[in-house]
Amino acid sequence: MCRLPSGAPGIRMATIVEAPIPPKQKRSRRERRNDGGSALSTYGLLAPMLILLSTLFLLPMYYIVLFSIALKRFSPTDALASLNGELNSLSAELWAKLLSVNVTVMLPGLNFNVPVLLVGIIFLVLLVAAVTASRIPEYGNWIVGIAFVLLLTPFMTLPAGNNLLRLVELTSDGDYLRLFFKSVSMAMTSSVIAVVIAIPVAYFLAFCVGKSKYTWLLIVIAPFLTSYLLRIFAWKVILGDQGLINSGLIAIGLVDEASPLSFLIYSQFTVIVVLTYAWVPFICLPIFLAFETIDRRLLEAAMDLGATRLQAFLKISLPIIAPGIVAAFLFVFIPSIGEYITPSLVGGTQGTMYGQSLASQFVGGAFNWQFGSVMALFLLGVVLLITFATARFLRAGGGGL
Amino acid sequence: MNEKMTRKGFVALTGATSLAAFLAACGGSSSDSGSSAASSGDAQAEGIVSEEAAAGGSFDPASEPGGEIDVFTWSGYDDDPKAGAPWMWSQYVEGEYNAESPLKFTFLENDGQALAKVASGYSPDIIHPCIAYVVQWKEAGLIQPLDMALLPDYAGIPEAISAGGIVDGAQYMVPFDVGFSCLTYDADKINFDNSGGSESWEVLLDDRYKGRMALFSDDVAIIKIGHLINEGAVDPNVQTTEQIAAAKETALKVKANLRNYWDSQTDTVNDFVNGNLDATYTWPDGYWKIKNHPKMKDRNIKYMQPMQGRLAWVCGTVLSSATKQPGRATMAMAATNTAAAGASLLDIFQYASAQQEGVRELIKNSELIAAFELDKPEAWAPPNAWFEAPLPNYKEYITAGQEVKAA
Repeated sequence: MCRLPSGAPGIRMATIVEAPIPPKQKRSRRERRNDGGSALSTYGLLAPMLILLSTLFLLPMYYIVLFSIALKRFSPTDALASLNGELNSLSAELWAKLLSVNVTVMLPGLNFNVPVLLVGIIFLVLLVAAVTASRIPEYGNWIVGIAFVLLLTPFMTLPAGNNLLRLVELTSDGDYLRLFFKSVSMAMTSSVIAVVIAIPVAYFLAFCVGKSKYTWLLIVIAPFLTSYLLRIFAWKVILGDQGLINSGLIAIGLVDEASPLSFLIYSQFTVIVVLTYAWVPFICLPIFLAFETIDRRLLEAAMDLGATRLQAFLKISLPIIAPGIVAAFLFVFIPSIGEYITPSLVGGTQGTMYGQSLASQFVGGAFNWQFGSVMALFLLGVVLLITFATARFLRAGGGGL
Repeated sequence: MNEKMTRKGFVALTGATSLAAFLAACGGSSSDSGSSAASSGDAQAEGIVSEEAAAGGSFDPASEPGGEIDVFTWSGYDDDPKAGAPWMWSQYVEGEYNAESPLKFTFLENDGQALAKVASGYSPDIIHPCIAYVVQWKEAGLIQPLDMALLPDYAGIPEAISAGGIVDGAQYMVPFDVGFSCLTYDADKINFDNSGGSESWEVLLDDRYKGRMALFSDDVAIIKIGHLINEGAVDPNVQTTEQIAAAKETALKVKANLRNYWDSQTDTVNDFVNGNLDATYTWPDGYWKIKNHPKMKDRNIKYMQPMQGRLAWVCGTVLSSATKQPGRATMAMAATNTAAAGASLLDIFQYASAQQEGVRELIKNSELIAAFELDKPEAWAPPNAWFEAPLPNYKEYITAGQEVKAA
């Protein structure tokens, strides 16, 4: 059993006793000017970041927008543009190619088609409900919960062998939108699994190892000391048909040598496993820091009042660390949704992701920067929406958690 | 110097520096970005290529300024001491201009990436693309016709190979390396009962080998293989829109049986020797590595000769339209066209040489001659092999291939 160490008393008091607010005093012009100068200095410190942001993000984004509506093209000459089939004037054709498709909702025993626009509106409404409904008295938290369930269910899967088990699946008659839904599912699944694994690890670090917690933390993040590519190749050695797992299973007679567990490598399962493994150490940090903010006396009080350890965790720790969990989830989900390297190396034909198709428009011989830009902007839009919604959700107090 | 900087001064300095850096970055990024490809490409197309060069005029190496000659090539084609330096460039390195104009090597990843990079402003002197893309390089205005007088060994390249390097009557490419693209397979595990015992691309549709086969991730190759399965030994470079659509459908069926599309041949060779695959698409060197791998010692590894014909590729050197040393760069390209370079190509890479004159006599490993059927000209011609060629409807091939991979 982990001991609950007492934190620094001063810090704990600061969380409980609010400091008195000093009365407003009239400040001289000189004081105000000094404050203004200080603010200007602060902005000066931000200058390098602003330069980076404008040159490495906003400026390329500007060009990507132009590419996406065919106001720019890759080819330097008309002849090459003609050969590559690029559009030469303002056009929404490429957006239509991506989005003028139907979405098929697959429920157990029931499939139906919905226009993509309607799906977008439904998702937007659910997102708004998830973010804002907690303000509604009485039923607000229920609405938030239901909205979250409806938002997440189509993308939640359970990797089981060659198949991904799920209750609801979204697919499409458009290749790229279908690939996008698949990528969201894979990213969502690996994010949730990574968070579920990281919570107990972070709990262990925060409460169970006392003064050596930072040594343990270093051990947890030790995989980051090696190259990402090397770690992926290590998984190929472990998961291959003659790899560690299959060899072990064959040796103990659980698997026939002629038919090893082939889903272990080059499948959606592999991508989810590798992405999860890659991100768990990273997201232990925000969750660990969230645990560190918990006033231990609250847990002691809960247990003194008869709460079990699990009840104390669910009623006290979980609401406090909720923002850390959400942040950790986003840390995994956002980069995973556009993953390129991992599915390229271990995804096989079944584990292809949206990021691969996107990249191949630019560097794979397609010379289709216009459609690649449409794909990139679509992905960016979705990610921005999720990030914005999450920020609002956290600002609103975690939806009442 | 010991004057103390005020906070105001610091802010002013930071602001001025930031503004200057921002403006510089804007200027730099616009010239480097792909979006400015049009302007840089146009400049190269319209300004730098002289009328004389466009007509395939003559260059004078002696009068050219010195400086490094930047060769944009595939990894391994550089001046590598391990490969017996400087092998394919020997003639140039030992020649009179190497001291003033030494070769410098930059590596490309694939044809698409190379063209995108050069179109975006990178200006090498020599580029090493494959022949299917020569038209695109030419139409982009990024390469210029060659001075054939500086290529004394060019006549040793058969017309069937060199034809793809000629655009609008001008010679743009010196073909250098050629090779097959086909399946390497374990004959103890794969049989061709379903195609009457003859080796065939149709094996890719055989469910018995589901999950045990792999193909190269090249979009065009995916569609060409679909076409060969559908149509038999019919030129996969000449496909109608309907044939491409049919090839795409077949490619989707093939995909269902594949374990992966590989991006790196090294990866698929490792997968094969580690037992993850029984058949995979390789180039000749991949086949040779698998066949001679210690783990494959007791295995019957074969390189498929399908009844529909193998795919084959040709790559070579082209001259950048932006080069300031077209004569010396052409002389470096001529070095790759010698019999000695061609022989080294087989010994080092297990690729065949576009140059045919006097190469076989110089090959050290004679086993390779039989292995790659260099002594059988018919193996290198239709219907046994289909060399890649520029595709007028390239866009349709690429789109179909991309959709197969995304599906």
